[in-house]
Amino acid sequence: MEEKVLEILEEYCEEALTYEGDNMMEEGVIDSFTVINIVSELEDAFDIEIDAKYVVAENFKNKAAILDLVERLLEEA
Amino acid sequence: MQFLSGGFVILWVISFALYYLLPSKHQWMVLAVASGLFYVIGTGAFPFGILFTALSTYACGRALAQSLAAQKEALTHCADKEEKKAVKSAFEKRRKRMQILHFVCNLGILLGGKYTAVILPFLREEGLLTPAGDAFFSNIVMPLGVSFYTLTAIGYVVDVGREQCEAQRNLLKLFLYLAYFPAITQGPFHRYEKMRAEFAREHVFDYGRLASGVQRFVWGAFKKLVIADRLGIFVGNVFDGTRLQITGGIYGVAVVFYMLQLYADFSGYMDMALGVSETFDIVLPENFKRPYFSTSVAEFWRRWHITLGAWFKDYVMFSFIMSDTGRKLGKAAKKYWPEFGKHVTALAGTMLVWLFTGLWHGRTVSYLLWGIYYGVIMCLSLVLEPHYAVWKEKLHIREGKVWSFVCMARTWVIVFAADILIRTANLAQAGAVYLAIPGRPGIAATLGTLTDYGLSRYAFALLLFACALWLFVSLCEERGMDVRKRLSTLPLPLRWGCYYGVALLLIITGIYGGSYDTAAFLYQSF
Repeated sequence: MEEKVLEILEEYCEEALTYEGDNMMEEGVIDSFTVINIVSELEDAFDIEIDAKYVVAENFKNKAAILDLVERLLEEA
Repeated sequence: MQFLSGGFVILWVISFALYYLLPSKHQWMVLAVASGLFYVIGTGAFPFGILFTALSTYACGRALAQSLAAQKEALTHCADKEEKKAVKSAFEKRRKRMQILHFVCNLGILLGGKYTAVILPFLREEGLLTPAGDAFFSNIVMPLGVSFYTLTAIGYVVDVGREQCEAQRNLLKLFLYLAYFPAITQGPFHRYEKMRAEFAREHVFDYGRLASGVQRFVWGAFKKLVIADRLGIFVGNVFDGTRLQITGGIYGVAVVFYMLQLYADFSGYMDMALGVSETFDIVLPENFKRPYFSTSVAEFWRRWHITLGAWFKDYVMFSFIMSDTGRKLGKAAKKYWPEFGKHVTALAGTMLVWLFTGLWHGRTVSYLLWGIYYGVIMCLSLVLEPHYAVWKEKLHIREGKVWSFVCMARTWVIVFAADILIRTANLAQAGAVYLAIPGRPGIAATLGTLTDYGLSRYAFALLLFACALWLFVSLCEERGMDVRKRLSTLPLPLRWGCYYGVALLLIITGIYGGSYDTAAFLYQSF
């Protein structure tokens, strides 16, 4: 799972892979349009549904948070 | 009720005194009653509009919360993924219907109020109105703050649906959120969760905060009465006057004055609203961040009417992009154009937002064109942004103060061109102004006739001084200085000299009406 998520991040926002802070959106590493593209790719890749309520800065603050989100959604499904 | 009126000051002082006399758990009630009074006195009529919005929003919020709870419960009994999906989808459909009903009812009131004046002449001309119908529609008055509280209510309902906040159980508390009196006429648009926390926490009287709030209020009044309303005299005489031979230069000056007038008027109002709220220890979000220092149009709109932009982004753009239509569009586009396709949903969302922004601001073709103009510029900048770095390198452009100033000037020109559209009476006048500015600037005639449009030499000198003071304060803020805090550390004579200076300028040189009334704020008409 991790490998696929990182692959998607690499395609849309390479900087997210090396970012070590905890507020990617506020710090301009990733913008909301890129987040939407990543959401769409994650949904296709893992056959999960990412509701609007999950698309918040907290869940996209760094790559660990994104991995955590996917893991949670896979468990819920 | 205008901020700059005796009635408002009395309401402010009485509610302020009661607010800090009451125990903290009852403080919000003072604000709710003050907001109700502000609304009723301001409109002079029974507030049907806002009460309907408050009641329907309350009911919708509660129904959504119950549906979400029922969904959670139902999901625990599901055996597999497919069943879960079906149950979730059924509940989501029901919630969507509730939200649509709420939007249609409330947006109906807003659009009805905004567009009645546009549709009526057409209906009359076509003979589609009975005399009784004509009389009924002619008497429709836009409820005070309808644009503000409708969007605020929709935001709340969406947030509850997205589970970003809990539905409010107390109707009066929800009314306070929708009708909070410092913000109801023109914003800023605040978020429910933040405001709920603001109203709920304990507020203790603090002299420094009171002084700071009053200073901000006075500074806002200074921008409105000394700068905006004075610039408005010149702008009005150029665009609304009967003079025929106006040089391109005069039009150019009038458009620049209009840009400044709009900014001084609207940001002045915001300073007053935030200042009043600060005295109650309620923090409202900032709505302006010195937009004319922006180096791009995108940045300009991140600094101008910040809270409206954020509202459109979160509730229109985001809803569209996350919708089935938005997702399908994105996937289809990526299939055909793997690279460019990534941007298609964002571009469609951007255009949608700007169309709505144009129509929200006005009901004429000019506003629609204004929205399309900004939408196209935003889309272009989104697509071209990755190429900027390459072009800059090829053209040997170095980042620095000079380049920043060039970018700032480019932003001013783009905003300048857009403001012509919305300030002129119609497209014909706008066209004439676009042609006159470069075609017949008439520099000498312009300089010779500057004082023919309602402003004397003295008024120009005063404007220059007031704008220089405003620029100085803005530059200090741009460098990160908290000007009011810095003022409070100055030696006593200097500090009070500043306070008295601004207050005296405001009293002596402010533009007042016959009975010390003030002109309405420009944004109130949007």
